[in-house]
Amino acid sequence: MPETYDNGTEIEVKNLNLWYGEKHALHDISIDIPKNSVTAFIGPSGCGKSTFLRCLNRMNDLIPTCKIEGQVNISNEDIYSRETDVVDLRKKVGMVFQKPNPFPMSIFDNISYGPKIHGFSKKEMPEIVEHALKSGALWEEISDRLDASALDLSGGQQQRLCIARTLAVKPEVILFDEPCSALDPISTSKIEDLILELKKDYTIVIVTHNMQQAARISDYTAFFLLGDLIEFGKTNQIFENPQKKETEDYITGRFG
Amino acid sequence: MLTRNLKEKGIESLLFASGAVAVIALILLCIFLFKEGVLLFKDYSIINFLTDTRWLPTAKEPQFGLLPLLLGSFVVTVGAILFSVPLGLAAAIYISEIADPRFANIMKPVAEILAGIPSVVYGFFGLVVLVPIVQKTLQLPTGQTALTGSIILGIMALPTIISISEDAISSVPRSIKEGSLALGSTQWQTIYKVTFPAALSGISAAVMLGIGRAIGETMTVMMVSGNSAIIPGFPSGLFTSVRTMTATIALEMGEVPQGSDHFHALFAIGSVLFITTFIINIIANYIKRRYRFNL
Repeated sequence: MPETYDNGTEIEVKNLNLWYGEKHALHDISIDIPKNSVTAFIGPSGCGKSTFLRCLNRMNDLIPTCKIEGQVNISNEDIYSRETDVVDLRKKVGMVFQKPNPFPMSIFDNISYGPKIHGFSKKEMPEIVEHALKSGALWEEISDRLDASALDLSGGQQQRLCIARTLAVKPEVILFDEPCSALDPISTSKIEDLILELKKDYTIVIVTHNMQQAARISDYTAFFLLGDLIEFGKTNQIFENPQKKETEDYITGRFG
Repeated sequence: MLTRNLKEKGIESLLFASGAVAVIALILLCIFLFKEGVLLFKDYSIINFLTDTRWLPTAKEPQFGLLPLLLGSFVVTVGAILFSVPLGLAAAIYISEIADPRFANIMKPVAEILAGIPSVVYGFFGLVVLVPIVQKTLQLPTGQTALTGSIILGIMALPTIISISEDAISSVPRSIKEGSLALGSTQWQTIYKVTFPAALSGISAAVMLGIGRAIGETMTVMMVSGNSAIIPGFPSGLFTSVRTMTATIALEMGEVPQGSDHFHALFAIGSVLFITTFIINIIANYIKRRYRFNL
């Protein structure tokens, strides 16, 4: 595991264990995720990578049978402590989901939804919306039809809208849960370019089952298997010189 | 091959016939209703029917004024809506979004069973339990009032409103609720800004069906709302006895000579009821289209 990062550490996880009812789904995960870079989680289906991602903005709170032990610090705050306000946490740690999930509203309302609930005034909205759509690389395509339903956009545009929607609440960290798995190759490459652009300002964690994608866009890669974090390191080290046999087997396509 | 085609064709025609029966029955019913209703206007002007303020079908100079009955239905229905819509929607939101799933799994079927109770039982309950309560608490000369009818009708509309709007709310995809929560909204903000609007077309269908049930209901209102054909004031009319259109038809149909003006007047009321329900359906469709962001 890399010891220190040039940009500093954003997320520190210490001995995290997670159970779904009786099932022990994540075993003793410890990892330090660097600031302003892209960290990819890879591994076969069911290895716990998405589950672990959802620990970082406490989305697992929604599952009643889920029990979590251990510590997660994000910008030096323990997010599972009693004082943590989940609303503030999720404002700081945004999430983009596997399938584009725009709200059944207009494009404008989709973007302004977050800022509105966090108390920005109506007057500021046009500027916020424009800025977010520009950062989400969508403005050029849709600036003339902000009142159109978000559901009329293509899948790739919907996903960029969801990214823009996340950017509009000004998070520090953005979690991507297999954001391209429902998209075609062209939309995928647009999203990848966007992620590379975003890492200048945000800490990005992306779950992907596409190893090429991890190799293309991430600076660091973590390999999960059956609820264990097997190996974590610089992406080129993981792909060119894996230290663990399981990692090598997975990367060379022997299973998964 | 041939027999298979024959079988396909046979099933097709069977299904077509079943569909056709429903449509033809509806058309025949309409024709019959309007044909009998229109005959009233040979002897009694339609303007009088719509504007006369009194319903005196058996007087020497009979008056067939629709207004007291129409307004009677209106007051009772509005009262039922005011009572059942907020309560029903709140219950639906609770069941689908907030309640422990184990509790919700009990609550919803229980609410739905309410729909299976015959209306005469509701009427009986209203007459024996609710009427005396209304009379005592409000110090009225009689407990058989529009308010009593509204409450009972509201209870009867609840299962429809709860069940259908709960279906609509819980069919809003989990993914968009998660999307909202992930932006840092609270559970309540997610419910009223995302889930509820997304379910609105289903919810309005639920409300309209509930209203339809309230307008069309006969037995219960007849038993608890007193049946005096006097134009009710609003809202003071809530505390007086009223007679609805449906109750009028049910009360008088048995004793009226077939083919008389009175007989045709009852069919004219039936036609008005039909048109009212029709308009409600159109409004429901309009609401559905207005909130066009369907999922």
